[in-house]
Parts: sequence; C-alpha cells; structure tokens
Amino acid sequence: MKGLSLWQQFWYYLGHNGTYVLQQFNHHFAISVYGVLLAALVGIPLGILISRHHHLNGPIISIANIIQTIPSLAMVSMLMLVLGLGDQTVIVANFLYSLLPIIKNTAAGLDSVSPVSLDAGRGLGMTKWQLLVMVEMPLSVSVIMAGIRNALVVAIGITAIGSFVGAGGLGDIIIRGTNATNGGAIILAGALPTALMAIITDWVLGWVQHKLAPHTAKKAQ
Amino acid sequence: MIRHRNLKIGALLFSIFILVLGVSGCSSSTETTYHQPKTLRIATQSSTESQIMGYMLKDLIEHDTNYKVKMVNNLGSSSVSHKALQNNDADIMATSYTGTDLTGTLGMPAQKDPKKATKTVDRLLKQRYDEIRYPSYGFADTYAFMVTQANAKKYNLTTVGDLKPVASQLTAGVDSSWMNRKGDGYNDFAKVYGFKFKRVYPMQIGLVYDAAEQGKMQVILGYSTDGRIRSYNLKILKDNLHFFPPYNCSLVVRGAIIRHDPHLKKVLHRLDGKISLSTMQELNYQADDELLEPATVAHRFLVKHHYFEGGDN
Repeated sequence: MKGLSLWQQFWYYLGHNGTYVLQQFNHHFAISVYGVLLAALVGIPLGILISRHHHLNGPIISIANIIQTIPSLAMVSMLMLVLGLGDQTVIVANFLYSLLPIIKNTAAGLDSVSPVSLDAGRGLGMTKWQLLVMVEMPLSVSVIMAGIRNALVVAIGITAIGSFVGAGGLGDIIIRGTNATNGGAIILAGALPTALMAIITDWVLGWVQHKLAPHTAKKAQ
Repeated sequence: MIRHRNLKIGALLFSIFILVLGVSGCSSSTETTYHQPKTLRIATQSSTESQIMGYMLKDLIEHDTNYKVKMVNNLGSSSVSHKALQNNDADIMATSYTGTDLTGTLGMPAQKDPKKATKTVDRLLKQRYDEIRYPSYGFADTYAFMVTQANAKKYNLTTVGDLKPVASQLTAGVDSSWMNRKGDGYNDFAKVYGFKFKRVYPMQIGLVYDAAEQGKMQVILGYSTDGRIRSYNLKILKDNLHFFPPYNCSLVVRGAIIRHDPHLKKVLHRLDGKISLSTMQELNYQADDELLEPATVAHRFLVKHHYFEGGDN
C-alpha cells in the first residue's frame, strides 16, 4: 500500500470495501432520518400549539433552545447513561436537536399566513381544523420544510459522533482510519460520504421546499 | 370556549405523540419477563482484532440462524464490553482476553498459569454475571518483546533472557499502562528477569511498532497478534521465563441467550480453536495495512475456509 498515493488508496479502499461503506452509509442516513421524523411528529404539533397560544411560546422555545446549547458529545454521552449503547441513543439525540428548528419554523410559518387568507377561509364557513389543513398548512409548508431540512443536515453531523456509543454509521469508518497504520485514506472514505450525504440532502430538500412553496411566494422570488 | 377546546386538542395531540415516542423507545430494550430476542447485539472493542472476530460471528450467526445481528462497535475496553453485557446493551462480546478479564473485570490477582487463569475467569464470569465464556479461538494475545531483524542479529537475540547482557545499552518503548501494572508490569519484570533497560519510554501502544521500525528505540513491547509485526518484519523474542500471562482470546455470551437456543450455542462453537496466532496476525495485517475493513477481512476468511457451506477449513 505504501506505493499508492492518498487518492489511489482511497479508490482502492472503496473498491474493496464498497458494500460495507454503502451499508454504513444507509445506516447513517436512517439514524439521522428517524430522529428528524420523530421530531417532526412532535415538533409540528407543538409549533401549531404555540402559534395558537402565544403565552406558551416563551417556555417551549426556551426549553428547545437550552437543548440546542448542549454540546453533541455531552448529549450523546448523557443519553447513553439512560438509554444504553446502540443507535437508539443517537436517534433520541437527533430528535432533541431537531426540535428547535422544526417548532420554530412551524410557528413562524403559521404566523406569516396573511390575515386576509384566514378571513377568506372563515368567510367560506371553514371550521378551525379546515382552516388549518386547507389554508394555513399549505401556505406555510415550505417554511416548515426549511426547518426539517436544517434539522436533517445537523443530524447527519451528529450521527457521525454516535459511533462512540456503538451506533455504527460512517463514523465507524473514520474511527477505524485513526487506528490503522496508514489510515488517511480510510478517514477520507468515512468523512467524504458524510459530507456528501449532508450536501445532497440539503439540495434535495431545498428542491422539495421550492416545489412546496405557494405560487404567490414563488412569484415573489 | 373555542380557546379552551383548542387547548384540549393540542394537549391530546401532544400526549399521543409522547405515547408513540414512548412505545417506540421501549420496544428495543428492557424486558422484565424473558423472551428470546430476534436481534443479537455483538459488542466489540476499538481494536482491529476485536472487530474482525465480531464480524465473523455476525456473518456466521446471520448465515446459520434466523437472528439479525447488530454491531456495537468501538467500545473503549473489555470492562466496558462486560458492562454492556450486564446492562443488556449487548448479548455477545467478541473478544475476551483471560488476563485482562482476570485482573480488570473480575478484580482478581494475576495468575501465571494459563490453564488456571482460564478456569478461574470462566468460572467467575458464570457465577457472578451468568456469562458463558467459550473455548479459545485458538490464539492468545500477549505482551511480547520485539526487535527488528537487524538488531536481533547485531545483539544475537532470540529470547528475552538474551537481552540481559546488553540491556544496559538499549532503550525500550512500551505500552504506557504496562509501566505501573501489578503482577506483570515493569517492576516485576525487572525482578524476574534480573535486568532493566537503559531507558524505557511509555507510549501509546499503536506507536511502538513505528518507533522500532524507524530505529527510535531498539526494543519494544507490543501485542503478539498485531499485524505490523508482519509488515515491519519484527522478531518476537521468546518469553523464556514465562513472565507474561497468556491472554487467551474467546467470545463471551449472556447465559440466557444460549440456554434458550441450543442451535445458536452450537453455531457459536464453530470458531473454537480455528484461528491460530499466525492466522490472526495475517488478518490484522490485512485490516491495518491493506486498507480492508474488518468486516471484509472477516467475510473473506469465512468464504475462503468454506464456513458458509458447512465446512470449517
């Protein structure tokens, strides 16, 4: 291996361990997505709640803010004490970190719906629920999507740290690289796919977000 | 009124989601009444060797049984792996070394006789933690003094005892944790062999091989199974006074798991005595120097020796 340049080593490594890298890639992505999906399940209703009851805004956002300030390594280690080793710990960490962007964007999206549209809805005799599902959500879905996109990109980074609690993922490959004799290429083989995953995710969700944007907003752009 | 109803709906939604979260969180762990899991979790340490053995077990189990296997990689030490087993975070520990478990996990005095040491560890792990320790894979990982071939010739070295006349001229690089160990550390070593080196550099174990190769020190104390012994063509000096306890390597499994599944118990026996010291060195070498993942190395080994067709050689 000594004769090969770093890039040659990198391609050699991918050529011989391709399936393994792919497995870890998928596992890494799944852990990130699960955490964010759970956060969306909890965060979107919470966002709706605080846009309805502004007095709840302070406490809920403060709690989410505080969670956000905990360093990821500390968060993962603390959760490990409660949840044990394995990917569930990292999924919960991703869930907690994703709450803030999703709650905030949901609330902001709903608040930005113009009173005129709401009035029009009410004028048609819509119930509160219909108003939410047929007017407010469609108008704010792209803003909510922006929050999810933000959360997922962060989660991909946090999952890499999760290797320290035995969760697997591309972080495993990075740690391996630090242990091997000439591990530079192995570190790259773990780090580059992680970065690539974050970039592609950001790009795809950005596209989805654009597609979901209401026509009026698109024209404004 | 409307405000009130909204609050209620909000609270209802919120509690449903918390409930969903709770249920999904609980399903994976902490059963009060025993039932055999569908997924087995294998704990491995961060060493190459541990991960290779872990992936071999994973491949074998997934091929021979219906279990799915999840790896819990990169644990810091064998004590952490044992903790994982005790806490029900893992079911199988891929590599347990007699010496480390005896003095570390079990807190017993060091034992020089390999047979007795193995017996004690096996018995106590079962007694205290209901963990079953399998027979050795066939290799022992032990501390070993090594020199480059050039130095071996120059000082005429084949055993550790041969170092005695020249030790006062030589510097040594050793594992930092070895320096102050009781039983098999530097002080006891000096007493048994009757010499000390000119100077001893405690350092991280992964660095000693490179240090020897680059001539920074003449003698190093490394692990007998490390792949770099081969890549740097180092000579292992024979421990002629049997000072270093043998760290026989085997797997440990939670007793409950195999009591409820005799077939699995048999499958786990398939690697008993099958991996010799030189085989392990070769496998470690492939992972450490030839850019192969432990998972790949393990799979290739099993394929090469026909494990998936029921064979084992």
